[in-house]
Amino acid sequence: MKGLEKIIICRCEEVDLEEIRQTVSQYGSSARETKLRTRAGMGYCGGRICRPMLDAILKKIMGDKPQDQIPLKIQPPVRPVTLARLGDGLHHDD
Amino acid sequence: MVKEIHAEVAIIGGGIVGCAIAYYLSKAGLDCVLIEKGDIAGGTSSRCDGNITIVDKDPGFDSMMSMASQKLMAELVQELDRPFEYRALGSILVCDNEVEMEAAKKWVEIQNNAGLKFKLLDRSDIRQESPYFADDIPGGLECETDSLINPYLFCYALIEKAEQYGLKVYTGAEVTFVSQNTDFIIETTEGTFTAEKVVNAAGVWAPFIGQMLNIEIPIKPRKGHIMVGARQKPVMMRNVMEFGYLMNKFQRERIADPETLKHGVALVFEPTENQNFLLGSSRQFVGFDAQVDINVIKTMARRALRFFPQLHDFTIIRTYTGFRPWTEDHLPIVSAVEEVPGFYIAAGHEGDGISLAAITGKLIEELITEKEPTIPIEPLRYDRFKKKTGTCFN
Repeated sequence: MKGLEKIIICRCEEVDLEEIRQTVSQYGSSARETKLRTRAGMGYCGGRICRPMLDAILKKIMGDKPQDQIPLKIQPPVRPVTLARLGDGLHHDD
Repeated sequence: MVKEIHAEVAIIGGGIVGCAIAYYLSKAGLDCVLIEKGDIAGGTSSRCDGNITIVDKDPGFDSMMSMASQKLMAELVQELDRPFEYRALGSILVCDNEVEMEAAKKWVEIQNNAGLKFKLLDRSDIRQESPYFADDIPGGLECETDSLINPYLFCYALIEKAEQYGLKVYTGAEVTFVSQNTDFIIETTEGTFTAEKVVNAAGVWAPFIGQMLNIEIPIKPRKGHIMVGARQKPVMMRNVMEFGYLMNKFQRERIADPETLKHGVALVFEPTENQNFLLGSSRQFVGFDAQVDINVIKTMARRALRFFPQLHDFTIIRTYTGFRPWTEDHLPIVSAVEEVPGFYIAAGHEGDGISLAAITGKLIEELITEKEPTIPIEPLRYDRFKKKTGTCFN
């Protein structure tokens, strides 16, 4: 995958392939640790854009280590929701 | 699979407390292994916020222990190679009503008398902190020495440095049995370890390790929810809690609506270094049920809007829960166990694990190497629970 190292994987947090690879090789980190160290998948979209790619990359790099949680977990509310909507169930401009 | 690894000290639990213990013991020259069932900081220590606070500690031993930890944190910023988003900006506590304001005045007085840097804030001080605050907040208080960190980055930094001192780390190694012959024998899913001493730093899971040696540890999981808000515009730089948080934590009487009281909800606002912010908090006894409860989240959102109405159009991108290791008297257990010589407990920090990890690590190092402890450890003894009830935790 030469030449692809600078390709952005997580757009929200601007993490490229190289950073993910380097993190895994430097720390021997698990999928979850790699996510926490690079912030890939932790941005505004909640990983909806990059998660499938991230899972595929991590799976490829790591093989089948038993403690790795691939695919990475999805946390509610899945899509961004305003605080007002959570608080009173309304859109703030309703 | 590892076979029969031997060490002077085996630390069970790779959360913030276990990592701090591993760091101080390895630095002192002891040959240590850290045994963790999942990942480093994979449990409570990555499902929490990152306060190193005195503002929410009872004046006296509680606040003294926190202050000792804050001093160590300031040293660790220099000692560790990796940054962990340490920000020493102080923190503030806001009041909901005049009754809390009166209590806050007393709180400041008591803390000042104890030599701590607390200051009372009035309505205009609060408004100057952030334009996002509600106009009707009567005031609050400030603790100058409080700071923020990223807890999992802190764990990684401790481990990295400890490994340079010789620490061996085994993750994905769940302890299945512990017994004592002359040495301790620790059986795990990744093989068997032997050690002269064992430190149980398993947090909410510490009672399970205790049971293996017939030691009852009175720690219960108290569930907490946190929401992550997305960066939009800067809200403020410092950590905010509401005065009611103290009342929740210490299980004292508090004026609030029934839902807020039912779920143990109190505002915590914590800016993170990547410019998102965390909103807490809740406290519930529901066993080990980790599922996010939407009713609790809604109550937390309403509570956040009470203090920050101008955040109404800010978006929440993530919610999560963690289990705080609760003890009856809200102090951790940092202690040797008389019944099993060589067995130590460092657990039960509830919501103070981040604040107290450094001092806990230091105290365990001092216990094991038989040095004079940095602070008196009598209030943290394991046998205090037995003394109180006269029986063994019935």
